[in-house]
Amino acid sequence: MNDLNQATINAFQLLLSGNSGIWEIISLSFSVSLSAILIASPFALIIAFFLAFFQFPGRRILISVFNTFMSVPAVIIGLALYLLLSRSGPFGDLQLLFTSKAMIIGQILLSFPLLVAMAHASFQAADRRAWETAITLGAKPYRAFFTLAHEVRFGLIAAVVAGFGRVIAEIGCSMMVGGNILHATRNIPTAIALETSKGEFSHGIALGIVLLVLALGLNAGVSMVQGKGGLHS
Amino acid sequence: MSNLISYKDISISLSGRLILSIDQLAIPFRQCTLLTGRNGSGKTTLLKIMSGLLKPDSAHIAYQGLNLSWRQAKPYIQKDIIYLHQQPYLFDSTVFNNIAYGLYRNGENKTSVHKKVNQALEWANLSHLAHQPANSLSGGEKQRVALTRARILSQSLLLLDEPTASMDSESKQQTSLLLQRLNAEGLTIIISSHESHTVSHLIDRHLHLENGRMTEINNASQNNKVTPFKTTKNTLTNE
Repeated sequence: MNDLNQATINAFQLLLSGNSGIWEIISLSFSVSLSAILIASPFALIIAFFLAFFQFPGRRILISVFNTFMSVPAVIIGLALYLLLSRSGPFGDLQLLFTSKAMIIGQILLSFPLLVAMAHASFQAADRRAWETAITLGAKPYRAFFTLAHEVRFGLIAAVVAGFGRVIAEIGCSMMVGGNILHATRNIPTAIALETSKGEFSHGIALGIVLLVLALGLNAGVSMVQGKGGLHS
Repeated sequence: MSNLISYKDISISLSGRLILSIDQLAIPFRQCTLLTGRNGSGKTTLLKIMSGLLKPDSAHIAYQGLNLSWRQAKPYIQKDIIYLHQQPYLFDSTVFNNIAYGLYRNGENKTSVHKKVNQALEWANLSHLAHQPANSLSGGEKQRVALTRARILSQSLLLLDEPTASMDSESKQQTSLLLQRLNAEGLTIIISSHESHTVSHLIDRHLHLENGRMTEINNASQNNKVTPFKTTKNTLTNE
């Protein structure tokens, strides 16, 4: 118990002293996950909008596929991406394996179904009159899309935040395609796994605290956003 | 009297059921038309097809000297016809921003938008609500904001779906007054309504939908009131 207390105190000291190793890992984690979400979100929102507002062949199947892929374990996506990016794989020549770019691709694949499914639910719940009103008032379809997105912004923000929450904490895919290389691809979850296996609990706890604070912040943010949305509905 | 727009061979089926089948429908300039029919008779469907919001199975449109298919006419009619829902949708913003919405979409600059919106608010006696959240308004106020938002765009044809439904008598009166002023300013109006008495003083023509077919009731402008339904003809032209 004393060891755990000491490790926790050391963890706070590491964080507060601005330990460069720790903050480099935190910074890489955020940069990879934010990049993934920023790239994935616009496409996911547009697909979600089409799924919610237009009828076309295969629409229901597509919705089922996205819902199914939401629950695919990160390590399976990591494995598939590893096979694609490895030297003998079809995209081996790109030499992306064990780079932060591969981690971003993995996290895009991981977050995409969740973003689509949650955004689809928001658009599905949107009042169709909003779209029709925008069109009848002279908005071009792309502009009407932005108007509609603004109307359901609380649900869309919740989707993006949930997507970020999923990828920042995932370990399977990052470990497989990133390789947990120091100064290059080591992010918070892979670092926690490594430091814990080495017995460096204070490092693991310090990084765990960051994830916990982040999870708490994201959940509080989503609750606030959804609560605000409720007032307007 | 010349026509603003004419529709031919409008038909639409939903889930295998024929909803509308109208041979011809001409809308004369500056007239106010009352469209009646029971629930499910296709009034809303017709108004949405007319405004380019709903794709029919078939429809041809004569507009500005052009004979167009519905698809070809869609950009023109969406630009020149405004459809107002039974319960108008106001965006989650202020009354001012709601009225300004269409002007910004038309590419007008901020100064011009502010001037026009303020004038429109005064016209509708809504200036005191300019910075209120639109979602906090009463049903009657929302309808008046929606009418003001439509008027500011200077479109040619306004399609109103049950504009006075679920309103108290004062709101009905105010909405009716605004409609009268809009019509007097030269706007062509079609009103779908169950409560024909509320708007009877505005009506030049009375159309009735039943089983997807349209009939014209005797000319309301002659006796200045809407008479009980009486089927006279099935093909509607006004040329």
